[in-house]
Parts: sequence; structure tokens; C-alpha cells
Amino acid sequence: MDDRKIQILIDSFWPMLKAGLQFTIPLALISFVLGLVLAIVVALVRIWKVPVLNQIAGFYVWVIRGTPLLVQLFIIFFGLPTIGIEFDPFLAAVIAFTLNMGAYNSEIVRAAIQSISSGQWEAAYSLGMTRGQALRRIVLPQAARVSVPPLSNSFISLVKDTSLAYTVTVVEMFQVSRQIVATNYEPLLMYCEVAVIYLMFCTVLNALQNVMEKRLERFSTR
Amino acid sequence: MIQIRNLHKSFGSLEVLKGIDLSLDKGKVLVIIGPSGSGKTTLLRCLNLLETPNAGSLSLGSSQLAFDGGRKPRKEEVLKLRQNTGMVFQSYNLFPHKTALENVMEAQIVVQKRGKDEARKRSLELLAKVGLSDKADVYPHQLSGGQQQRVGIARALATDPEVMLFDEPTSALDPELVGEVLKVMKELAAEGMTMVVVTHEMKFAAEAADTVVLMDGGVIIEQGPPRQVLNNPSGERAAQFLNLLTEKEL
Ligand SMILES: Nc1ncnc2c1ncn2[C@@H]1O[C@H](COP(=O)(O)OP(=O)(O)OP(=O)(O)O)[C@@H](O)[C@H]1O
Ligand SMILES: [Mg+2]
Repeated sequence: MDDRKIQILIDSFWPMLKAGLQFTIPLALISFVLGLVLAIVVALVRIWKVPVLNQIAGFYVWVIRGTPLLVQLFIIFFGLPTIGIEFDPFLAAVIAFTLNMGAYNSEIVRAAIQSISSGQWEAAYSLGMTRGQALRRIVLPQAARVSVPPLSNSFISLVKDTSLAYTVTVVEMFQVSRQIVATNYEPLLMYCEVAVIYLMFCTVLNALQNVMEKRLERFSTR
Repeated sequence: MIQIRNLHKSFGSLEVLKGIDLSLDKGKVLVIIGPSGSGKTTLLRCLNLLETPNAGSLSLGSSQLAFDGGRKPRKEEVLKLRQNTGMVFQSYNLFPHKTALENVMEAQIVVQKRGKDEARKRSLELLAKVGLSDKADVYPHQLSGGQQQRVGIARALATDPEVMLFDEPTSALDPELVGEVLKVMKELAAEGMTMVVVTHEMKFAAEAADTVVLMDGGVIIEQGPPRQVLNNPSGERAAQFLNLLTEKEL
């Protein structure tokens, strides 16, 4: 590899990483957190078979899981403005990814909550706790432990999927790499470099996942 | 303290309790025995409304509940009754993500809204009472079955219930651990706690019970002081069942 190429790699590294820290990670983080809240609500609505809401939730999960994320993104950013609903690019991406996470993670959360034995609910009820108290204090903390591995996977997928946001003009990390390619005509080099940065992100996240699982291992759920 | 009249409970088309009448005075110990599937657990769970009876009435402490016509108690009534009863489960059902101390503190903080310090102090007293002062900061999976069940008893006592309910508290335990749990229960009884105990520990029934009830097929077929029920049952069916139990113990 000649000096010019090495110089190109070095010069483009920071702009890409910066876009990653400024847009890719926040986009993923915000969407994941909002999506998790949505997922818990959807999971509870379905577990408790809340009338009407249960049907709506089932429909929502069915639609989101049965259609491509890219198409959902296009509907929100390019489609909705034609009926007068407009979002700026970042917000459109947050909405699309949140809805996506909400649907996929609701299944994870639901399975985790249902894996907690009914004896835990009963013990909580027998002490005089309400359903909400039993959920918050007893069941969710245990379900959280069960769902850390699948939710981490889901988050790592999301970090990579945020690259789709370039299609709705969010200047996230992948978009920056495309812009740099347009100036230096080194697609192989630049796309490999951005791939390496994604890899770095995911490696760090994996390590965090391991730390979290260790911390939660203090107790065993039998 | 407890008055049950004509209590019925069905699961779908299966009628599990077919009209139970019982009463228990304050400070007395009631032991329920009976073959598997006779409805002992269901009856116990009706007493703290983990199951809602389909008909009949229940009064416990200051709670008065009638279930006739499929009437369901209000949420506040349910919570009040549950705070006034403590339940000890066959499989302990301790909260695995909380230490022994936290298990005992939990309801005091969440349900009774006691301050942390007060809850901790009371919990340490209760753990001392069940002989587990040294295990306060240990998680349930690090405890033996007998120790877990004693934490279960301390946890159930933490809301200062007027009535304690035990559902076969020792039947999941290795034989050598049964004694330590029964000892705690006997101490409770001696202190004047009102207790309803489902158990097949005949020695406990004979020594600690004021009344023994024998259930079969969703009805009470024998009821009286332990000496009478255990030694001189009047009915054929009761005699058969007791013979079976004594054979098992020999
Ligand atoms: N939630 C439920 N749904 C349907 N049937 C139930 C339910 N709970 C209990 N039953 C049935 O009710 C009957 C009585 O059960 P219960 O648990 O009260 O018996 P038990 O006397 O406690 O028996 P064991 O000694 O085996 O614990 C059984 O036939 C059981 O299958
Ligand atoms: Mg039972």
C-alpha cells in the first residue's frame, strides 16, 4: 500500500468516526430506548390481553415484522409528507427505528416476562402488592436479566441498520463515507474503513454486554 | 378470626371446593390434611384471594367478603385482606434477585411504605427470629431449602399479618431440614399466631394443632381436635387415608 492511500485512510478516519459518534450512536441509542419502552407496553398489553389494545398491538407487530425496514423508512420520510405530515430526516429515522425496535423487542420482552414463574407473581400478591408493584419490583428485574442477551443482539443489529438512514439524507457514518468516496474515488478502501469502524462499535458493545451479564449473574433465577 | 361459610370454587367445569364451612378463633392453629387433589391448596388460596371463590362468604380479621352470585371483591378489599395474611409456599417462591434481608424488607417498603431504616430493623428482627441473622446479605440460591423456607416465613411475617397460611411448607425439603422449619412454626404458634397449615407432618399436627380438618373431594369429611381426628376418625374414608399416612411414615 502506497503512502497516498495510507494518508487517505488517516485523513478520513476522524470525519467518519465523528459522524458515528454524532449520529450513528445517538440514533441507535435514542431509538433503542424509546423502542424498549414501546416494547414493554406492547408486551404487557399482549400478556394481559387488554381488550382492543391487544388487537392493535398484534396488528402493529405483524405489520412491522412483515415489511422491510427500508420501506418503512421511505413511507415515513417520503410518503407521509404527501399527506401533510413532515419530519426532519433525523426524526424520521428515529421514528422508523423506534417502531421497528418496539415490534421486535416486544416479542423478546414478552418471552422474558412469561419465563418468570407464576410463583413470583403470587408471592408478590400474597404480600399485598398491586399488579403494577409486582411487575416493577419483582418480575421486570428478573425478566431484564433473561432478556439482556437477546436485547443486546437487537441493539447491535440496530447500530448496523442505522446505515439505512443515509437514504433519508441523515448524515450518519455511512453517508459520510459515501461523501468521501465521491471526492477521492477509493470505494474499496473507504467502505472497508467504515466497516472497520462499525466493527469497533459492535466489539465495544459486545464487551459491554458481557460486563452487564456478569453483573446480573449475582443472583440466579433457578 | 376466620369464618368461612359454604365456600365454593370451580375451575371451569371442575368443582374443586363443594361448600366448605370452617371457623377458627384468634391464636388457634388449624391443620388441613387430605389426599392429593382434594382441594387443600385451593382452599388456602381462597383465604388470601389468590383464587376468587364462586360462592359463599369469607370473613377474616376485619374483612367481610361475600361471593354469592359471582360477586368479585373490590381491589382495595383484596389488598387489605392480603396484607392481613402471610403466605408460605411449598416451593418458597423467594425473590431470587434480592438478598434474604431485601426479601423481608420488600413488602414493608413497597406495600406498607415504611422507611428503609425501620424496615431494615424489623427485617433483621424477623431474620433473628427464624435463626438466620448471619444470612441477611445472602441471595436465596446460596441458602439450603430449610433456610430458604425460614426466610419465606420471615417475609410473610413482615407485614404483621393476623393470620399465617402455610401450604405444605416442608414437603419440598430433604427430611433432615424439615425439623428446623417446623420448629419455627411451633414457636409462632406458641406466641399466639393464628395459623392455617396444610401439611402431612402428623407429629406437627398432633402437637401444634388446635383443630385438624380432613378434606376429601372438595368437602370436609372430618373435623375436630387432633386426638379425635387423627386417632379415632369416625368415617371409613378418613380411617383409610390416615392409615395410608401412618404407613408412609413407618
Ligand atoms: N388453576 C387451576 N386450574 C384448573 N384446575 C386446578 C387449578 N388449581 C387446582 N386445580 C385442580 O383442582 C383440584 C384440587 O387442587 P388442589 O391443588 O387444591 O389440591 P391439593 O389438595 O392441594 O392437592 P396436593 O396435595 O396434590 O397439593 C385438582 O384436581 C387440581 O387439578
Ligand atoms: Mg396442594
